[in-house]
Formats: sequence, structure tokens, C-alpha cells
Amino acid sequence: MSGNLLLLAAVLWPMAAAFISYFIGRFRKTARNRFTVGATVSEFLILLILMLTGDSSFSLPKICGMSLELQMDGFRALYGCIAGFMWMMTTLFSGEYFGHYRNRNRYYLFLLMTLGATVGVFLSADLFTTFIFFEIMSFTSYVWVLHDEKPAALRAAETYLAVAVIGGMVMLMGLFLLYNAAGTLRMEELLSATRTAWETDRKTLYLAGALMVFGFGAKAGMFPLHIWLPKAHPVAPAPASALLSGILTKSGIFGILAVTCNIFLHDPTWGMAILLLGTVTMFGGALLAVFSIDFKRTLACSSMSQIGFILVGVGMQCLLGELNSLAVRGTVLHMVNHSLIKLDLFMVAGVIYMNLHQLDLNRIRGFGRKKPLLMACFLMGALGIGGIPLWNGYISKTLLHESIVEYAELFENLAEAEEMGIRLMGSYGLMKGIEWVFLISGGMTVAYMLKLFICVFLESNSDEEVQKKYDNKKEYWNIFSRIAICGSAAVLPVMGMLPGLTMNKMADMAQSFMHLEHAHEVHYFTWTNLKGGLISIGIGVALYFGVIRTLLMKKTAANKDGKVLREYVDRWPAWLDLENGVYRPLIQVWIPRILGAVCGFLDKYIIHIPLKVFMSVTGSVAAVLDKYIIELPMKVFNSVTAAAVRGMDQMADGIILLARKTTHRQILTMEKEDIRDEAAVKTGRFLDKVTRKTTHVASLVELEERVSRTDSIIRSGLSFGLLMAVLGLIVILLYILFV
Amino acid sequence: MSNYFLLFPILFPVVAGVLVMTLFKGIKERKIKLGIVFVSLVVETAAFLYSLFGPEEGLMLWKLNDMLQITFRVDTMSRIFGTLVAVVWLLVGCFAFEYMKHEESEERFFGFYLVVEGTLAALTMADNMITYYIFFEAMTLTSLPLVLHEMHKAAVMAGLKYLFYSIAGGFMALLAVFLLANGGGLGSFTAGGILDPASLAERPGAVLAAAMLLVLGFGTKAGMFPMHGWLPTAHPEAPAPASAVLSGIITKMGVLGIIRGIYYVIGPSFLKGTWVQTVWLILSISTVFMGSMLAYREKVMKKRLAYSTVSQVSYILFGLAVMDPAAFTGAIAHVIFHSLVKNTLFLAAGAIIYKTGKTLIADLKAIGKEMPVVIWCFTLVSLTLVGIPPTSGFVSKWYLATGALASGVPVFSWLGPVILLVSALLTAGYLLPVTIHGFFPGADFDYSTLKKKEPTLWMLIPMVIMTAGAVIYGIFPESLLTVIRSAAQVLFG
Repeated sequence: MSGNLLLLAAVLWPMAAAFISYFIGRFRKTARNRFTVGATVSEFLILLILMLTGDSSFSLPKICGMSLELQMDGFRALYGCIAGFMWMMTTLFSGEYFGHYRNRNRYYLFLLMTLGATVGVFLSADLFTTFIFFEIMSFTSYVWVLHDEKPAALRAAETYLAVAVIGGMVMLMGLFLLYNAAGTLRMEELLSATRTAWETDRKTLYLAGALMVFGFGAKAGMFPLHIWLPKAHPVAPAPASALLSGILTKSGIFGILAVTCNIFLHDPTWGMAILLLGTVTMFGGALLAVFSIDFKRTLACSSMSQIGFILVGVGMQCLLGELNSLAVRGTVLHMVNHSLIKLDLFMVAGVIYMNLHQLDLNRIRGFGRKKPLLMACFLMGALGIGGIPLWNGYISKTLLHESIVEYAELFENLAEAEEMGIRLMGSYGLMKGIEWVFLISGGMTVAYMLKLFICVFLESNSDEEVQKKYDNKKEYWNIFSRIAICGSAAVLPVMGMLPGLTMNKMADMAQSFMHLEHAHEVHYFTWTNLKGGLISIGIGVALYFGVIRTLLMKKTAANKDGKVLREYVDRWPAWLDLENGVYRPLIQVWIPRILGAVCGFLDKYIIHIPLKVFMSVTGSVAAVLDKYIIELPMKVFNSVTAAAVRGMDQMADGIILLARKTTHRQILTMEKEDIRDEAAVKTGRFLDKVTRKTTHVASLVELEERVSRTDSIIRSGLSFGLLMAVLGLIVILLYILFV
Repeated sequence: MSNYFLLFPILFPVVAGVLVMTLFKGIKERKIKLGIVFVSLVVETAAFLYSLFGPEEGLMLWKLNDMLQITFRVDTMSRIFGTLVAVVWLLVGCFAFEYMKHEESEERFFGFYLVVEGTLAALTMADNMITYYIFFEAMTLTSLPLVLHEMHKAAVMAGLKYLFYSIAGGFMALLAVFLLANGGGLGSFTAGGILDPASLAERPGAVLAAAMLLVLGFGTKAGMFPMHGWLPTAHPEAPAPASAVLSGIITKMGVLGIIRGIYYVIGPSFLKGTWVQTVWLILSISTVFMGSMLAYREKVMKKRLAYSTVSQVSYILFGLAVMDPAAFTGAIAHVIFHSLVKNTLFLAAGAIIYKTGKTLIADLKAIGKEMPVVIWCFTLVSLTLVGIPPTSGFVSKWYLATGALASGVPVFSWLGPVILLVSALLTAGYLLPVTIHGFFPGADFDYSTLKKKEPTLWMLIPMVIMTAGAVIYGIFPESLLTVIRSAAQVLFG
């Protein structure tokens, strides 16, 4: 154990506090709420102190078979603090939001556990440590998603867990391969360690990298693993969505950056792959967001889209090689901006949900009217994420945009590229295309934020009664929620208006993580830079009025005042859903069915069939032996002996029988009477019956007949006996005479 | 070679067990009867541990000639397996005191429970193949009454299946012992092998055949495909504590037999790269996958856990088959971790049956609200079995996979880890739903019908201890890993 113990405390304190809060919560609810706020504030302070006191590290050997390596420097410090800040704000907001929820104790337990794990991820100095905390984080945050326990929440949570577990296992495979190839997982050593393997075994490194990015990307919401994001965010409680979207996705990006900047530093092939994935994610997310008519789902899809922007930055870092300062700084700043903006926006969504218990745009329409403070808070976030100049999102988007432009220009200036040692990938046209996708996605961001803003804060509800009720709602948030939301909102314009004081400092701090030494000065508000932002805004406004207000809305039947209203409709085709269309059938039905059948077959028959075959073969052989070798002689023997024995047995009887049938026939066979006179016979029989009933003569006659028959049998029997005796005497005589 | 104390942990439980079944059968008071069993278990555990960690001297009990002798000696492997047996047997015994309340003829169960521990003690301390084989069969026979305890038709049939498979396996092992006898294979176990080099060179085919037979024969007890069939049949029928030790301990004796035969008699250096290793790898990998796939499709809780054992014990066999120090370390670590986990899982399943009578997984909705401690234990050990850091299952998997990759065995060095991870996914798929439905029954669930059904401390404490072991060993595995590594170092030179 060596290094700064405070680092370990930053990880373990929230976990310990989780159990303390659970314990307190069993007895007192308010005390528990205060304690959790205190715990997150103290955690934020610990992280802040660590950041301000400069770089430090901590290592605890022999944990989990390897060692626990924590480090606090640059990028890690920055993100550690942001995590602390976000947790502090959401916990402050949770008190009111969860006012009437079940299982609050459980929520706080897992909230604080996840804080510890997330800080662990961001402070980790080797990928082994990252992985450990990453998995803990996945499992503890799972409980947030299903907190409501409604069917949709359970289903979304199932998806979340499945993606997390599959991602984790795939990532682990990547770690195995990397560890085998490089011999270390420490991020500092990886760069030099992989350089040797780079020449000999590049394929393994690419494979390992791809597997790890699969795992990290699943958490970040990268296409095609984004499926959990649009499902999980709308159903999770709002403070949890803010954290899921704002910080947990960033832990995935952290991992992707750790892999990209240490193993594939300045590798254009890798960069191109990430860039393309990022482009698809960016555009797809924005498209889903434009179509969505659920407040939180829009924000969730927006998160996916913004992750795409960040991934584009990551890809550009690799492509631009030594010239990647714009891309590096743009990536970092967009991460920070997105975290803070989504914190603000999801908490605003939380306020709406906490009051109305629904998020459908047609229902919540008009809720924000006459609530200037809430509107301001939302507006700060919307302007930030829309990339409007003077707000923070503009700065980072401009940097990312300029990095694409810079790379495209290299195609026209091949000499410079060669001079800087940059191997160009793709073509000028491709990069121009990506630039336009980037601008259009930016425009879509503006469009869907406009949609939310106009719907909730400017339009009035289609039902005037409802609108009146909304207007009269004055006590819609308490003081703690107000502090939390206004505090998070206020940061955004400050950062956007004073980029030199705030955002440049952050970027300076973080860039060493991406192996960037020095950066060139950027003037954010020059015409060339403003131009990109303005194009996006133009596209956005055009999209809003040209598409959203026309194609994505429909007229409803006139209400009782005769006014025809328009409402939002979800025109996204239901079958176009990667999760329900592909992943779920594949994992839940087809794979188990097919492989299960194979395994079941093996299980049942691999012993069974040979056994049966063996049994039947040996059985039939034994049966043949049994039947023909033993049974046949046996039968023959049996029948022969039986015949012989029977012959012996019945010899005497046989002779008697023979004699009686021939020489000694006594009972004459009854000769059949020839009946001529039927009537006489019948009369006779009738008279017989009658007399038998009245007299005993007939029976006496029968008796006499029987006696006389027996008498004759005895007599003939005696004569037979005499005959036999005589025969015997003759035989004895002959014997005596001749022997 | 005359440390007669080694006999004590072998004979004492046998005597105690027989007494429990005969003399003490008449005791009416259940508490006194179980008190005697409890005291015997405690004394046995203490004596067993003392003989494992006490004086090093061995014991030559009986000698027919130079080849056939019954000897006992304690080495590192004995200590690892012996400690596991001693501790787990006591804990599961405590659980059984409560559980067996609802079963008949307890004396028979506890009597044989004690007798089996004697044979297990003998197995862990056996010093040559003959001794090992004799007590291996003794273990099979004495553990049979535990399986068919309930004595109804299905239980008896399951018991017979267990018996037939085990006897078949035992005879394969015996044949291997015969084959090895000529090359000096009946001598005292020594790390790295004891076979006469001359005889190895002379008839390698016979030795390879013997190795394969050893793996298959002892693999039967360890539930390796294709001889795994008894596990899913025997487990659901046996009472929960019996299934727990059957899965957690008795299968491990098959593993120990393979370790003894392959690593201490034949020697891994001879087998590395031969067809025996390839076949063994194929069998173990397919068992890993098949077991978890079938568990994933199984609906009955205990049967699912039985299939899970089939899969998990083959993790260990895979680690042994790779023949690499790191993978070996992972395999031995997994012996301990899996034993703790699977015992806890079966005890939890038993507690659920004992309290609610439910055996199907689909019926376990909201069970976590009724028995929170049990399901918490279940959850934590499930995560361990899946291999989620920082639990112990992750550590063993890490060593197994990195070892496999480092071993350089063609194809299997990467296929193995892939299958391990796929199987881990399936493990998550078949264990986590219990937790999920148990703790999160859904918002529309009617909570008013729920009653607290937490079992007594006799049941809870063993589960909590083993769960704590499974988790804490994951965070601080070093003490254990050092011991295994030292053994591995001797084995692999």
C-alpha cells in the first residue's frame, strides 16, 4: 500500500456511506436524506481537494489477484470532480423528487455505491482497476433503472443489465488478450509496451481493442449497442437519468479514450473505425430524438447523439496524429459540456415528472408557461446543447467541427501531411460528407430542443382546464431542488461566455491524458468558427418549421370551442427497433433454442445412444445364443424326454385302453335310433317328465340300470384282471423255464 | 512414517457416525442427539485441521508388499482440499440440523454424513493411488445413503444412477491404476510425477491410455461430459444439505483424483501436447458450455444448479488440462470458490424449499422480500459465479483465462477463454433472474400477502459465512494464491 490514502477514501467513503445511509434510513427518513447530501458534498470536497493539491497516486497491491491502482491527475481529476459535482446536485434534488416513492432506502444505497464505483473508474490508473469498478458500477446502477418496477422499467432494466453483462464479458476478453500481448494493463506503460507488440502482432491488438471498445461503447451508448439508452432513461427516476446520461456514459468514453490514446495513439485505421461508428451514432441519435414525443426519451436520444459527437472527436484524434490538438480539446470539452448540460436538462424533466407524473409532450404541453425560473434553467441547457454561440456547447462543437475541416484540408495539402508524418485515410469527399453529417446532426439538435422548448414553455395545452391548472401551480419545486437546478444551469453560460477562463483551463488540464503536449490558441468567436455554428442553427430552424411542425404533427378534431388544434405524433415505425427486432429474438429465442437443442441432444444421447446400441447388439447376440444354442437343444431334449416319459407313464393305461377298445369292449356304442314318429317321441318325452315329477319309478329304473352297468364293468374288470394274472403267470413260467 | 494421529480424523467420524446410527438412535430428545453430532463435527474439524497443519510426518498403515501399501501424508494439495472439506462440512452440517427437521430418519442421514467425512479426510491425506482409489470407492458407497435419503422411488432410482456412474468411473480409474502399476505408479505422490522414465519411454501408449482413463474415471465424479449424467438426476432428489456437499465437495474429490493422477503420478510435462490433452480440453470445454446452456434452459431450481455444477467444475478441469502454472492456480482457486458458492446456492435453494416448498424458479417471485438475507447471499454468490469483480469468481477466471492464453496450446488457448466468458454470460442468464424477480416483483405486486419467512440462524449463519468467504476472498485472494502458486511452482518446475 503506497501513495495518497485520500484517493482510496474518495472511492471507499461513498460505499461506506451507502451502508450507513441504509442503516439510518431504517429508522429516520429525513436524517437519511440529510446524511446522503452530506456524504455527496463531502465526497465532492475530497475530490476537489485532491484536484487542487496536484497529482497524486495510490496503489494497493494484491487485490483481486492483481492490484488496485488509482491516480489523480489531469483528465482523471477533472472527471472525478465532475462526477462529484453531479452526484451532489442530483442528491440534493432527489430529496423532493422521491418524496412519495417506495424503496427510497434502496435507491440511496445504490446511488452512493455507484458514486464510489464511478469515481473508481475515473481515477483508475490501469485497465484492470477500471474494469473492476466498471462492473460494480454497471450492477449497482442497474437498480436505478428498475426503481419504479413498472413493466416498462423492468423490461428496460433487463436490457440494461444484459447489455452491461455482455459488454463486461466481451471487454474482459479484450483485457485477457491485451494482457497476454502487452504484459501490463497500466495505462502509462501500455503505450511503450504495445509498441513492441505493434510490429509483430498487430491483429491481436486490434482484436483486443475492438473487444474493449465493444464493452466500453455499450456503456457509452455507441451504435449498435445504444439500445438500452432510449429505453432506460425515460423509465429511470430523473436524478438517476441525469447521472446515467451525464456521467455513466462518460465512463464508457473514458475507457474508449484510455484504449485509443494508449494502444492506438495516432493510428489512422483505428481512428477511421471510431469516426464512422461515431458518425452513425451521432446521426442516428439525433434522428431518433427528432421523432420522439416523450420529453425524457428525446433527451436520452440526444445523449446518444452527443456521444456520437464525442466519438467523432476521438476518431479525429487518431486520424490527425500530431495535429490533433483541436480534436483532443474538442472531445474533452464536449464530454464536460454534455455532462453538465444533461444534468440540468434531466433535472428539469424531473421537475415536470414530479408534478405531472407523465412525460408525453401532448400531455405536458404548456406546463412551463408562467414559470420563468424553470424556463430559464431549461433554456440554458437547450442553448448549450444546441451549440448557440456564447453558450458552452458552441465552444466544443466548434473545436470538433474545425478538426474535421482541418483533416479535410490536409487532402488538399499533401505536403504538409507528409511533413507531419500523417498517413491519410479516406478521401476529401468522405471527410466533407462527414462534416455535413456533423452539421446536420447539430441542426437536428437545435430542432429537437426547439421542439421541447416550444412545446413545454410557449404553447398552451390543448385542454384549457389543464392549462389553467398548470398555470396555477406555483409550488412546483422546493428550495433544495431550486438550488440544485439553478446551480447546474448557471454554470453553462458562464463557461460559454468565458471560455478562456474556464474551458481552456479544463482542456489544458486534461490533454496530457491524450498525450497532447501543447495546444495552439483558438479564437472561438472569429467568423470562420462562427460560420459552422450558424449553418447548424440555420438547418435546425429550417428542420423545426419544415419537418417537425408539419410532418410530425397532426390536426386533431375540433374541441368544444371549435378550435382546431395540432398535436405531436410519433411517426417512427414501431418495427424499426434494433432491440425488439434483432437482439431480443436472437438472444432470447434463437440462440438458446438452437444451441440448447444441440446440448440437450448431447446430454441425452451421447451416452444414451451408444449405450442403447451396445445393449441391443449384445442383447440380440445373447438372444440368438439363448434361443438357438441353448433353447433349441433344450426344447428338443424336453420334447423327446417328455414324449418318452409320457409313454412310460401311460404304457399301462395305454394297454388297458387298447384292450378295452378291442378285445374287451364292454359298453356297446349307442346306436342312433331311427325316429320315425316325431309326435310319439314328443309325447313320450312329455309323459316322461310328468311321471318323473309324480312318481319315483323312473328314477328307480335308472338306478337299477346304473347298478347293473357297474356290475357288468366290475365283472369284465375281474376277468381282465384274471387275464393279466394269467399272462403274468405265463411270463413267470417262461422265465423259470428258459432262464 | 508412523504419525498415528492422522488416523484420528479418518476413524473418529466413522465411529461417531456408526454410533449415531446404532447406539444413540434410541435417544428421544432431538437436541441431545444433534448435540452429539454437532460436537463430533466440531471435534472432527479441529482434529482434521490439526492433522493438516500439525506435524509433517506421514503414516504407513498397512503394507502388503512394496507396491501395495496404504499410506497417508499431508502436502500442500491435502491442506487446500482438506481445509475446504473440514470447514464446509461443519457449516453445511449446522444447516442440516435445521433442515432435516422436516425429513425422516435423521440418524441415518447424520450417521452417514459423519462417515463420509472420514472417507474424505482419508482421500485428502492419501499418499498413493491405491489408498486414494480405496477411499474413493468408500466415499461413493457411503455417500449413496445421502442421495437416496428420501427413499421414494425417484430418489432410489437417482441413487442407483449415482452409484452406477460412480462405479463405472471408479473402475476406469482402477484400470488406469493397473496400467500404471508396472511403471512405478503406485509409489508415494510426488510433484511432477513418479513414473519410471524407462518405462515411460518403453510404453508411452499405455501411460497415455492410463492418463485418459484417469481423467475420464475421476472426471465422472467431477461431472465431466460424457459421464455427467448422474449430477442433474441425483441433485434434485437428495436433501438440500446433501446436494450441497455433493456438488461442493464430492465432485471436488474427482478433481483431486485427477490432480493426483496427472500431476503427481504421471507428470504434466509428459502429457503436454499429447492427444490426451487435446481430448481432455475438448471434453472440458464442451462440458463448460453444455452445462451452462442446459442450466439456462432448466426450470427446476436444484436441477439448474446441478447443471451449473457440471459447467463450473469443468472450468477447473479446463484449467488443469491447459497445464500452465497460472491456469493451474486459477483452477485450484476455483475449487475453493466454486465450493463456497455452490454450497451457498444449494443451501439457499434448500432454505427456500424448507420455508416455502417451492422448487420451480418461476414461483420465486418476491422471494427476496420474504427472505432478504437468504436472497442477498444468493445474489452475491451468483455474482461470484458469473465472475463479476471484485468477487472471487472473477479472480479464478482471470487466472484461468490468462493462463490459458499464456500456455500457447493451439486453438484452445483462445477458444477456452471465449467459452469461459460465454458460459459466464449464460451463468448470469440463469442465476440473476432469481434475484431480479425475487427483489423486484414489479410495481403492481401485492405486498400485503407477504410474510417474513427468514429461516433460523442455524441456516443463515453458514450461508452468510460462505458468502462472505466467496466475496472477501475475491478482494484479498493473495494469501490463498501464494500457497497455490508455491505448489504450482514445484509442479511445473
